[in-house]
Amino acid sequence: MKAFISLLAALPLTSFLLHPAAPAPKYAVADIPAALREGAHAVLRADDEVITVKSAGRLVHTVHRVVTVLDAAGDDQGRQMVSYDALRTLSYLRGAVYDADGRLLHQLRPAEIHDQGMGDAGGSFMTDVRVRYADLRQPQTPYTVEFEYEIVSDNTLFYPDWQPQEVEGGAVQSATLRVLTPAALPLRYQERQLPAGSKVVHTSTSGQETYLWQLANLPAVEEEEDAPPLSYTTPAVVLAPGTFEVQGHKGSAATWQGLGQWSYALNAGRDQLPPATVAKVQALVKDAPDARTKAQRIYEMLQGSTRYISVQLGLGGWQTFPASSVATNGYGDCKALSNYTTALLAAAGVPAYVALVGAGADQPDLRADFPSSQFNHAIVCVPLAQAGRPDTLWLECTSQTEAFGYMGSFTGNRHALLVTPDGGKLVATPRYGAAENRLTRRVDLTLDATGGVTATARTLRTGQEQDGYAQLMHQMGPVEQKKYVTDRLKLPTFTLTKFNLAAAPAKAAPGIVETLGLSLPGFAAPSGKRVFINPNLLSRLPALPAQVGERHTPVWLTDACLHADTVRLHLPAGFRPETLPAPVQLSTPYGVYSSQYQNLPDGSVQYIRRLELKRGQLPASAYSGYIDFRRKISAADKVQVVLLKTES
Amino acid sequence: MRRLLPLLLVQALARHPALAQPEPVKFGHIDSQLLTAAPFVADSAAEAVVLCDYGTASIPNGGEVRFDRITRIKILKKSGLDWGNFEALLRHDQPGHAERLTNVQGFTYNLVNGKVEQMPLQATTGVLLKKSELYSLQRFALPHVRVGSVVEFRYTLYSNYLSNFRGWDFQRSIPVRWSEYRAAFPHQFNYKILLQTKQALAVDEHAGAEALVSTHRWAMRDVPPLRAEPFMTTTADYVDKVFFELASYGGTDVARSWEKIDEFLLHDWELGQQLDHFNFLKDDLARLPPPTPDNTLQRLAAVRALVVQAVKCTGEFSMRTSTPLRKIYQQTHQGNTAEVNFLLVAALRGAGFAANPVLLSTRAHGRVRATMPELGQFNYVAAHVPLPDGQALVLDATDPLLPYDMLPERCLNQQGRVIGGSAAASRWVELKPRHRRTHLQQVQLRLAPDGALSGQVHEEFGGYAGAQQRASLQAAGDKKFAADVAKFLPGWTVTGFALTNRDSVHMPLALDYAVAQFAPASAPVGTIYLSPLQYFGPERNPFRAETRQFPVDFGYVREETIVVNLTLPAGYALAETPKSKALDLPDNGGRFVCSTTATGAAVQLTSRLLLRKPIYSAAEYATLRELYRQLLEKQAERLVVKKLG
Repeated sequence: MKAFISLLAALPLTSFLLHPAAPAPKYAVADIPAALREGAHAVLRADDEVITVKSAGRLVHTVHRVVTVLDAAGDDQGRQMVSYDALRTLSYLRGAVYDADGRLLHQLRPAEIHDQGMGDAGGSFMTDVRVRYADLRQPQTPYTVEFEYEIVSDNTLFYPDWQPQEVEGGAVQSATLRVLTPAALPLRYQERQLPAGSKVVHTSTSGQETYLWQLANLPAVEEEEDAPPLSYTTPAVVLAPGTFEVQGHKGSAATWQGLGQWSYALNAGRDQLPPATVAKVQALVKDAPDARTKAQRIYEMLQGSTRYISVQLGLGGWQTFPASSVATNGYGDCKALSNYTTALLAAAGVPAYVALVGAGADQPDLRADFPSSQFNHAIVCVPLAQAGRPDTLWLECTSQTEAFGYMGSFTGNRHALLVTPDGGKLVATPRYGAAENRLTRRVDLTLDATGGVTATARTLRTGQEQDGYAQLMHQMGPVEQKKYVTDRLKLPTFTLTKFNLAAAPAKAAPGIVETLGLSLPGFAAPSGKRVFINPNLLSRLPALPAQVGERHTPVWLTDACLHADTVRLHLPAGFRPETLPAPVQLSTPYGVYSSQYQNLPDGSVQYIRRLELKRGQLPASAYSGYIDFRRKISAADKVQVVLLKTES
Repeated sequence: MRRLLPLLLVQALARHPALAQPEPVKFGHIDSQLLTAAPFVADSAAEAVVLCDYGTASIPNGGEVRFDRITRIKILKKSGLDWGNFEALLRHDQPGHAERLTNVQGFTYNLVNGKVEQMPLQATTGVLLKKSELYSLQRFALPHVRVGSVVEFRYTLYSNYLSNFRGWDFQRSIPVRWSEYRAAFPHQFNYKILLQTKQALAVDEHAGAEALVSTHRWAMRDVPPLRAEPFMTTTADYVDKVFFELASYGGTDVARSWEKIDEFLLHDWELGQQLDHFNFLKDDLARLPPPTPDNTLQRLAAVRALVVQAVKCTGEFSMRTSTPLRKIYQQTHQGNTAEVNFLLVAALRGAGFAANPVLLSTRAHGRVRATMPELGQFNYVAAHVPLPDGQALVLDATDPLLPYDMLPERCLNQQGRVIGGSAAASRWVELKPRHRRTHLQQVQLRLAPDGALSGQVHEEFGGYAGAQQRASLQAAGDKKFAADVAKFLPGWTVTGFALTNRDSVHMPLALDYAVAQFAPASAPVGTIYLSPLQYFGPERNPFRAETRQFPVDFGYVREETIVVNLTLPAGYALAETPKSKALDLPDNGGRFVCSTTATGAAVQLTSRLLLRKPIYSAAEYATLRELYRQLLEKQAERLVVKKLG
């Protein structure tokens, strides 16, 4: 036996004698058009997806993907990960890998497929989401992987989206999407960024509707600075149900009203509070003068008595735990805490609604023109009015520390779906612009004769400018806070002599005051008779990398803000400014910048800097101007004041 | 006799002073004082404090380890609310082995209107999650946890992993007031006790050495939180803990000497057999040049290249193979670290080298103690090859971007154990890096009379720096890589980017590009100030913290050199040539030299930093930080360029 194995092993691998039925080569790299290799790390050779709507409550999604990995930067495409959960079953996952000539190297075996629970991932306490993944990466590029899988989904609230070009450096040779649906369940779809001439082919035969989309020969795309996400720039077809059914809960997604109606019905009756809780609420708001004060007291009670724990199991991803369970356990996920809060508000006689939202600082606003489930979070909306004008209040119920009525970059500046007894209503959450998002800083720099510098800085951040610092203040201990700040100061060598974070008095937008004391030994060491010092110690805005080649994508400037810095530079005896830098004034569509220097009567130098950045979506041609704006700011931010040792 | 044993054990246990001590915490009963703020005024830095962590372990029926834990925690800040959750990890990674959790209980205590309110854990909230084939997690969330709450939980865990008697960490990421562990070993289980502590034990009691059951009790009081620092291996190397190793069972030595472990590996893994079955490699090895007295290294490099080109490492660290080496080589072309490096050993043997596997522990996995024969200390295998000159090499084939004789950075962790063909041939080897981390920048700069700068940069990343840059280049692709390089030169226009030695991994990776900087907004009159070294040197001191608890462990020697050749405009000269500077670290630990020379319009500035020690003790930290401070100060020094006449 042993000798026999050795003999086999000694034979050449490609021996026809051993493999009389060797399959014909397929997906040879040579068949890829040269234009698709340009700037590509991987080429999607084929993406054939079929979605078959079986009923209002079930769909089957089959995927056949073939990707050629051209170089190691495309290696991620040599792996396939498929997620599944209680409502979505993975029927099979198959794979194979081919060499550059298209000869089969290896067929994926079941034992090589890994299975992992994602239950504790991503801040979640528990979910039933699991993944199966397979790795067919090869030591030599190029190689080609082929994967096939099928998902049977009983969660028809979501139809799969189709966007074959989902990664940077990926080209597409051929991709098709075929959707089969009973005529009684008409398909809703939206085509986005499709190349000119790509049209859906729609056919009907005996009660069955078929839709077919095809894409071919899309060259590789590149992600650019300050650009929309790839999902906003590459061809896509987005699908959604008309009518759907999840675990016996029927609904319609054809309108925002209908989608909200489904969510309302799914959660109806889950807002019953124990009598003791109702009594507590009523005692709490008994002497409150108005609805806003009532809401504030209830919000404070919520923050002090509950915490966020995310448990998403099966339908529990969409259906809330009853309000009574939050009352019993003192915890819940976003839906449960929002539902509980509306119940508490109702007990106080303040009407409020749960609102569904696509949360996240980097999450673009939802597509208002295509009703579908585009949400990952729930908040509470309290429709209040002041002096006859609407003064709507929004509450984030999963945070024990968020300011009353503040949404910030996580849920502000976007649309949310109110879930009301009359169905869904799409409304805007609060917008935060340059008036709210401010950074106001006062720095005193004291220079000694040997070049050592001590500094004190008081910084007030408000609105979105304080979002990160609010987290820092509430989520981390003093030691970690100091480390965080120390790691981010762009100063050569320094010691933090003082550090404190404190909440600023409540205003329209929340604020945090940071107090810093810094010691910088040898920061401005004299060079001969002169000392060079940049008074802009803490607010230098870096330039952007130069644009290489043509800019392809639009310019998205997502945040508006206003920064105002005042710095006093105190000189040691025997020094005077030789020259003060010239003032700079820039006014552009992207923002406004100014800096100026002044000798003060007490011998100190004052530096004042003001920067306003605007929010906007601009065409690609605007990018060169933006680069120029940022370069000029960066140059002005780095200018040094030259001090001269006076003869004495 | 077997049936009698548990009873005897119970009696024996009761008589032993170490276990007869009262428990340090009374589960279900709390002193209401703990629900006020007063006892915690000194803990303003902590989000929560472990009031008591108490564990016991024993082997009650000879077949299972029983582990009991009671933990009580005070919540001090909103950021600490997650301490109201707890989880237990249940392993099932070996056939016939299992762990189970019972007797889970918990309470949250709150002070409500001056009264203690005790809320029980709802048993139904425990969620079991099968993470993978290897282990599951069972998680619990206590009710009504708020700032000021005290939470406590207890559970019992039964495990039939007898060889792995649970150890105990006294230290956490939050302060610990009292942490106590008690262990009872039946006489037939002889465990060796190992302590890793920075501070003194408050209790260290042992009894019953000659009895049926030996009992042990350890405790620590007021243990400060453990925090990670940059440039370190892993906090696991420093956490205060006690752990055990089964030395003998029922009088039989159970392989807990290095020699026994070596034998175990050689036989039970059948490693020896696989490693000598290299027939499937024969044809490919036959194409190597025949050995001559001076081509040993070339042949080693060629054998490694054969493996690197044939097999992709999945990145999974392992010491086991699950697929035969032949299959990996010929079919899947993919393997975990052990499979790739066992294949390397087999190929080296096939080529006539006396190669052997060498076990090691990656830096993130922690330091290996030679005094503690325990296989679990290791998580990685490489290949060891003796050279004709009496020296030896440790080779690794998991990363095609490394030169053949470079150990991956993760493996630079002091020492490894070579498993020889016989137990007698096994021994320790030092895992000394054969390469440095070097970065050279040669810059030709031309200064214009208006203050604009333009020139050419040549960079070389050698040794470990080359490995890091090649990894970035591979992940990002050429264009993004060039953009990333340009990000290090803010304010400069970077063009004409060229790469050399991309695939010649034994050579430094070289980059060439042109740089240009606009004239300053207000054109200088007569005098120009500039700091050429500062443009190319580091922006910040890498040692930002003022103090250091643990050693700075770079792993290798570091060298950073910048040479700027600056050409002044015609009719201009340096007003003054800056002084040279040389700084030495004590104990020949390193050196920084900076100098400027000027000949007419040609000015040369040189900055060279050499850190000779791969590891600096915490005591050396202050001088290391000061060296960098002075380097940054010197590189920032201004040149004053004046118009002549």
